Amino acid sequence: MAVALTPAMLGQVVVSGLLAGALYAMVALGLALIFGVMRVINIAHGPMVMLGAYGTYFLWQATGVNPFLTLPVTMAALFVVGLALQRALVFRVVGAPELSSLLLTFGISIALVNLVQLAFTSNLRTVEYLTGSWIIGGLALSKPRFIAFLFAAGVTALAFAFLKFTRLGKAIRATSQSREVALVCGINVARIHLLTFGLASALAASGGALLAVIVAIQPEMGSVWTFKSFLVIVLGGAGNYPGALLGGLLLGLIEQLASLFLTTQLSEVVAYVLLVLVLLVRPTGLLGGRSA
Amino acid sequence: MSMLTVEDVSRSFGGVAAVHRVSFALEPGRIYGLIGPNGSGKTTLFNCITGLERMDSGHVRFKDQRIDGLKASRIAQLGIGRTFQVIRVFPELTALENLLVVTRGPRAEAERRGRQMLEFVKLERLAGEYAGNLSYGQQKLVEFVRVLMTDPALILLDEPAAGVNRTLLNDLLAAVSRLRDEGRTILLVEHDMKVVMGLCETVFVLDHGEKIAEGPPGLIQADERVIEAYFGR
Amino acid sequence: MTGARGAVLAALALVAAALCVYPVFGTGYGIRATLQVFMWIALAGSWNLISGLTGYVSFGHVAFFGIGAYAGAILITTAGWSWPLAALAGGVAACVLALLIGYPCLRLKGPYFAIAMLGLNEVLRALVSYFEGLTGGGSGLSLPTLDASTPIYYVMGALAAAVTAMTYLIITSRFGLRLMTIREDEIAAEAMGIDTFRHKLGAFLLSAAGPGIAGALTARDQGYIEPISVFPLAVTVTMIVMVLFGGKGTVWGPVLGAVALFVIQEIVWARYPYVHPLLFGAIIVVVVLAMPRGVLGLLQLRYRLPRTI
Repeated sequence: MAVALTPAMLGQVVVSGLLAGALYAMVALGLALIFGVMRVINIAHGPMVMLGAYGTYFLWQATGVNPFLTLPVTMAALFVVGLALQRALVFRVVGAPELSSLLLTFGISIALVNLVQLAFTSNLRTVEYLTGSWIIGGLALSKPRFIAFLFAAGVTALAFAFLKFTRLGKAIRATSQSREVALVCGINVARIHLLTFGLASALAASGGALLAVIVAIQPEMGSVWTFKSFLVIVLGGAGNYPGALLGGLLLGLIEQLASLFLTTQLSEVVAYVLLVLVLLVRPTGLLGGRSA
Repeated sequence: MSMLTVEDVSRSFGGVAAVHRVSFALEPGRIYGLIGPNGSGKTTLFNCITGLERMDSGHVRFKDQRIDGLKASRIAQLGIGRTFQVIRVFPELTALENLLVVTRGPRAEAERRGRQMLEFVKLERLAGEYAGNLSYGQQKLVEFVRVLMTDPALILLDEPAAGVNRTLLNDLLAAVSRLRDEGRTILLVEHDMKVVMGLCETVFVLDHGEKIAEGPPGLIQADERVIEAYFGR
Repeated sequence: MTGARGAVLAALALVAAALCVYPVFGTGYGIRATLQVFMWIALAGSWNLISGLTGYVSFGHVAFFGIGAYAGAILITTAGWSWPLAALAGGVAACVLALLIGYPCLRLKGPYFAIAMLGLNEVLRALVSYFEGLTGGGSGLSLPTLDASTPIYYVMGALAAAVTAMTYLIITSRFGLRLMTIREDEIAAEAMGIDTFRHKLGAFLLSAAGPGIAGALTARDQGYIEPISVFPLAVTVTMIVMVLFGGKGTVWGPVLGAVALFVIQEIVWARYPYVHPLLFGAIIVVVVLAMPRGVLGLLQLRYRLPRTI
């Protein structure tokens, strides 16, 4: 399987890697927020991605509107779902031993996936809106992936701007640094938790919405996203939000590189081995950050 | 041969030096005190010695053997025991099980010693009670005798007097003296100055992670730098 | 106390005797169902050993079931092994996998370990598909026909009993106490001289053997396996909900959970097929929030029952 690496192939790897990486970064940012603010490990994050995809699919079926433009609607809907989940269930395990939040979110993820399976069956759905690629200078730029990249970059930039410049965003960052200090500063921590979970769900949903145009939609599609989001956070450093950006792009690049040399099945193994290796060598991630 | 030698130990957290180039030596069969204002790095130093935290630089020798870098469980097995600032008994194990769990060797023998220990601190009737249900003082005692179950040569006590009433405290201090008479070495972190002055033969003072003074309690009390550290200029 | 103890032992002996005699007059369905319950007792009980006692949640535990199934099936088809030996080999294969995975992953703190285990299942499924020549890949592996459901019934029953007995021995030993300290306060445990890594690894290996053997037995019983049938997430979910419901960290909790949830599953399946995974997810949520110690754990606390319940 020794392949001579031409500049063209490398270029393709970089391009494809960045396109995928932006999506990873955006979704992982959501997970990082939940972990950073509430110290909850949200295994149900992947199913949120899946719900976003289904949301886009049904909106497109119902209205025929450009699926990229219905993104805000899907995000808003899943924002509310996230709020509901946090308000009803997750808040009870914030501050509890991590075991509880792990098992709770695991249960929620199983329930969500199977609910969707029952409601919509596991038949593959697709949103056939945009297909094909642009060829620019010998590199193939997948059209849907490129548009998705633009949207993902936009949403992520907005998210970071929100975190950095708005009052609520700063409150979120303050709470993730120290809950006690935030309380003392008069921040309504419970409301911040609600907001964060909703925001994270919206980010996941937007990932799913963009994916809807690229891959086949089925109930189990989200679970690999939970795992990969964790990998991104570990690569970039837990609690380190810009790290999620770097981690996402890095994961995208590494996967594309691996796919040159390995079959697609084995590239799953690559992500896994990478996670274990990084956790062993530098548990605080490549960019440093808080450990669990 | 000194029991414990701490050489040039440093540990920082993101740019802030919690412990900075601290050195001292402990001789066997003596009681030492470690004092300093809040945040001076005492517990961090304990954690570095016992292996619960990695030190950034420096060496620690226990009976002439390098122990820096060893796993915490290995260090404990070599003969260093410690208690914690915030009590860490195992809440869903009974008082007796808390003591049993640190022992090796025949179980019957360990149970006998465990019950003896509980008798020693007058808790024998609570042997089968979940440690989490005990009062603060009772938990403190369980944690104390748990350390003794492994027969340690060096004992690190982190604020043994905190939250403990006078009678109990006297019993504890008498026990510590007995341990010293048995040839063990004790280093205690303490805020209660009466305890330190009454019990310790030598006192080390930390301020902002650095050792600023070392000597018998009487001299330390009068030391200007120490007074400054506690009360400011 | 010996009065109560004697009564319990007598009751156990009675149940055991009834189960031994059952295949003689039981229906085909009844025997298969009981065999399934035995399997779940073995699986749930094994999961309890690592996750219930040490608090390290293993989300990928079905991997051991699958690897046992494949190891057993491959030995039967290509090397002509008898199924009892192949079953033991399945257990060994699972233990080897546990060592390979556990050695790096158990050094991680609890939550990170859980995340690492999340991906394990998918990785194994991918690897099985990759090594097609050996495993038959996606098309699966067929075993030579053999009706051994009655002997397998007994072996699976023995496995369930063995796992439960092992749990009892562990919980009453200092080894078990030390495992529990990992759950209670891992840092304090280390500071007290307990080598938590070795203990976790030991529990992990022990917890893999049962599923490995059960996997191989199931492969023989079904006569055909494919990646999706022996590595389904649903198996892990069921293991988890059984232990959580019955009472994690107890001896009989997994048994209670296995019986109760299997019955629920059969009842629900009869009326509403495919609903039970959703139900299990919901039960996990409810148990974690309302009854985190499970049924037996709650009783243990309320009525101050001994830990060997």
